Amino acid sequence: MADELYLENIDEFVTDQNRVVTYKWLSYTLGVHVNQAKQMLYDYVERKRKENSGAQLHVTYLVAGNLLQNGHVCHKVAVVREDKLEAMKSKLSTIASVHVYSIQKALLKDSSPLYNTDYDIVKTNLHNCSKFSAIHCDAAVPRMPPDIPRAQTSLQGSSQRENDTGAPSAPAVNGHGPLAAKHPSQQHKGIMGMFAAKAASKPQDTNKETKAEASGVSTASSKPPTKNNIINNFFGKAAMNKLKVNPVPEQPKEEKEVVKPSVAVAEPESSPNPVVEKPGKRTESARIQQKDRKSRTKHVDRSDNEEERDPENAKRKRKRIKQLQSDSSDEEADVPPPPTPEEEKAPSPPPVPALKTELEPATMEVSAGGRKRKRKRVLKSKMFIDEEEGCMVTEKVYESESCTDSEEEFPKPKPPAAHKQPVLPMKKEPKEERKTLKKGAAPANRANKQVSIMGFFHKK
Amino acid sequence: MFSERVAPTAQGLLGPPSAEPPTFPRVPVLGYSDCSGPFRPGERSFGRQYAHVYAVRLAGMRPTLERRARGRWGNDAVLRKLSELQVGEKCCVVGTLFKAMQLQPSILQEISEEHNLVPQPPLPKYIQPSDELILEDELQRIKLEGAIDVQRLVTGTIVAVYGSEQDDGRFLVEDHCFADLPPPLPWNGPTSDRFVLLTSGLGLGSGSGEALLSTQLLVDVVTGQLGAEGEQSCAAHISRVILAGNLLSQNTQSRDTINKAKYLTKKTQAASVEAVKMLDEILLQLCTSVPVDVMPGEFDPTNYTLPQQPLHRCMLPLASPYATLHLVTNPYQANLDGVRFLGTSGQNVSDIFKYSSMDDYLEILEWTLLAGHISPTAPDTLGCYPFYKSDPFILTECPHVYFCGNAPRFQSKLLQGAEGQRVLLVTVPDFSTTQTACLVNLRDLTCQPITFSGFGAEDEDGDMEVGH
Repeated sequence: MADELYLENIDEFVTDQNRVVTYKWLSYTLGVHVNQAKQMLYDYVERKRKENSGAQLHVTYLVAGNLLQNGHVCHKVAVVREDKLEAMKSKLSTIASVHVYSIQKALLKDSSPLYNTDYDIVKTNLHNCSKFSAIHCDAAVPRMPPDIPRAQTSLQGSSQRENDTGAPSAPAVNGHGPLAAKHPSQQHKGIMGMFAAKAASKPQDTNKETKAEASGVSTASSKPPTKNNIINNFFGKAAMNKLKVNPVPEQPKEEKEVVKPSVAVAEPESSPNPVVEKPGKRTESARIQQKDRKSRTKHVDRSDNEEERDPENAKRKRKRIKQLQSDSSDEEADVPPPPTPEEEKAPSPPPVPALKTELEPATMEVSAGGRKRKRKRVLKSKMFIDEEEGCMVTEKVYESESCTDSEEEFPKPKPPAAHKQPVLPMKKEPKEERKTLKKGAAPANRANKQVSIMGFFHKK
Repeated sequence: MFSERVAPTAQGLLGPPSAEPPTFPRVPVLGYSDCSGPFRPGERSFGRQYAHVYAVRLAGMRPTLERRARGRWGNDAVLRKLSELQVGEKCCVVGTLFKAMQLQPSILQEISEEHNLVPQPPLPKYIQPSDELILEDELQRIKLEGAIDVQRLVTGTIVAVYGSEQDDGRFLVEDHCFADLPPPLPWNGPTSDRFVLLTSGLGLGSGSGEALLSTQLLVDVVTGQLGAEGEQSCAAHISRVILAGNLLSQNTQSRDTINKAKYLTKKTQAASVEAVKMLDEILLQLCTSVPVDVMPGEFDPTNYTLPQQPLHRCMLPLASPYATLHLVTNPYQANLDGVRFLGTSGQNVSDIFKYSSMDDYLEILEWTLLAGHISPTAPDTLGCYPFYKSDPFILTECPHVYFCGNAPRFQSKLLQGAEGQRVLLVTVPDFSTTQTACLVNLRDLTCQPITFSGFGAEDEDGDMEVGH
């Protein structure tokens, strides 16, 4: 019988799950009117006590009524334990209502479990907290969402960080953990609201871009990248670096416009820009920081690539595509520019001082490391750009290396004696050796680099 | 109020579930208009001096006081300005009171090097027997003595004194009067029972959980979840809820982050953030069921000077989509269902309490009404905006309900005026300490306190008012 079903439910909640079952909790869980929930609880208590007089059930009641106090009639609403019920009723001059507030197995020391139960169930049902109430208000209608996102977006940006910091803190009385769950969903609404607001202005911006660049690709691709940028704002620079690849036409604008980071304000005219400015700003700061360290991370390489790309406005599209494929060569190109001048100097004067031999291994290692990367780039487009030893030599070296690798043995590297013998073949040999060494190492490194880079690419 | 009608059905919910429990519709709002326009300054320039406030205050209240003076001391009473005083002549002077108090905290004295003073700790009252009253008008000032209660009065009150100047340059007061009650407003109140719930001092974020259950019970009663059917149907007649300030607790005001090192405070967030989230949830529950007016208070995240501007709706993302949420100023004035409400979050009354011998909040509230000014001590000891065009705190019309929030206990009084004014004075108690709110019946201007309590580890004593 459906009527008896609630009895079993309550039984299960109270005895099996050992919960504190308040009328409000029962009303939300079973989806019934609050008054029905109160009556159900009372019914359950009565039946249980009839069946088994030794039942371990503790009940709290709500008593409300008038009380004469300090000369005026005060309306009192109190939650009392069962044993205090009669005492409270006798104190009140007139009783307005009595009903069951909660049932639980254990004796409650104070009313905080009641509060916590109610708080939790209301938290999970915030959007329809008056659904089962006895009073319905017609005027309580939420306003339409488009009016709200403007205010919400500014809240989302600031509350996100506060959420992150606030989540670990645990207040003494109440668990505010679930609250964080509410905010991200709101933020996504806010983000989508932001996106909806931007979608309207996006055509304008994309129109501008088509006029400037005549790139139909960007209009189509700008939407997903900017959307990703919005969401990736919260995820980190690495993802954004990758996505920065696409919205390149916006980059020169960004670089000119990005002066101060502005998170909160989303103005209609420049609405995609602040969002993309933000990733632009972040990558810029990353650039500045990491460039100082001159670390060989992919971020640096990529940002260097972007910097190198930026001044060359004409070949942007091609470079983009090429950069995707020839990432490793790009990286190779990055590190050599600093040591390139040194390398160029080294081979040009035939007398090679001893000190330079020491330098050379270092530079040549670097250059070999660069060379092996450059080789790839050279293969594609930079073949004729200055190499460390002049183009011809490199080419020859390259070619010869590929065949000497199998033939030659590896002579030891010469001791750093001050041999000022401009013996080219001699020099070539150590160089070749080193090149072969590097070459031996290079393909391995290259292979490694290749794997790692492509792996990086595929991942994102 | 509630009980007489509903007593028969009180125990109705002690029984097996009935088929269709009734749902009561909330009484619709008959009429609402916000009259707090004067409390929202259009421009906010703080470049002016505060002397202009007193000038406009005196200019605004002078006509009223002159009328009262003539009514009290005869039409032929001589009205003089201070500059026209003659020794020994009985006349009547209208001016602003200034009370010279030794204990009054003065920032200039504190930072003066020649005095080498330690900053004074805050005292409950700063009055001393040696305080003096001085009357000022537009040009001059004169010391007062005589039939005037120095301890009781505060700086900034506009008063008319009747007496004569003495040889020593002081003014001997024989009688004095204030602006008295402002002219009455026509009564358009409802004919059936309608209630407005007044509460203040929710004190969220205080870290103590005792008042939280009471707050939840309050919300449940208003939204109709708590109580038997009779009580719920009565609760459906609550047409509005006014939260009069101090929604956040004083504990959220800690400024340790300013003094501590950055590495210690980097990951902490202000206590007010959590408290505002809780406030948002509570407001959401209320807003889905009843119109709510939220006034800011002393500890709430808004400006400090009076008139305090409404809380910004960006802080309340859950509740602000609802049209039933109204974020209003402090002080707040509105016509609710034909009844004029005027009230503050209590800063004006507590400030007068500090500088006057009056101890009772209700007495102070009544006195401000009789003095014709909501907050005479502003800007002397209470921060306020430097008005220069007009003083919005002057009472021009007599409200029907005049309340102040965050009082230590609940008090109410119905004041009858000589010109037919009927004012219900209510001191709304601080909910976090007393767990008491006020229900005002708009039909007959009566007020009933409503108390909530849970149960604690210790047994309840005879003292029922303060819940656990």
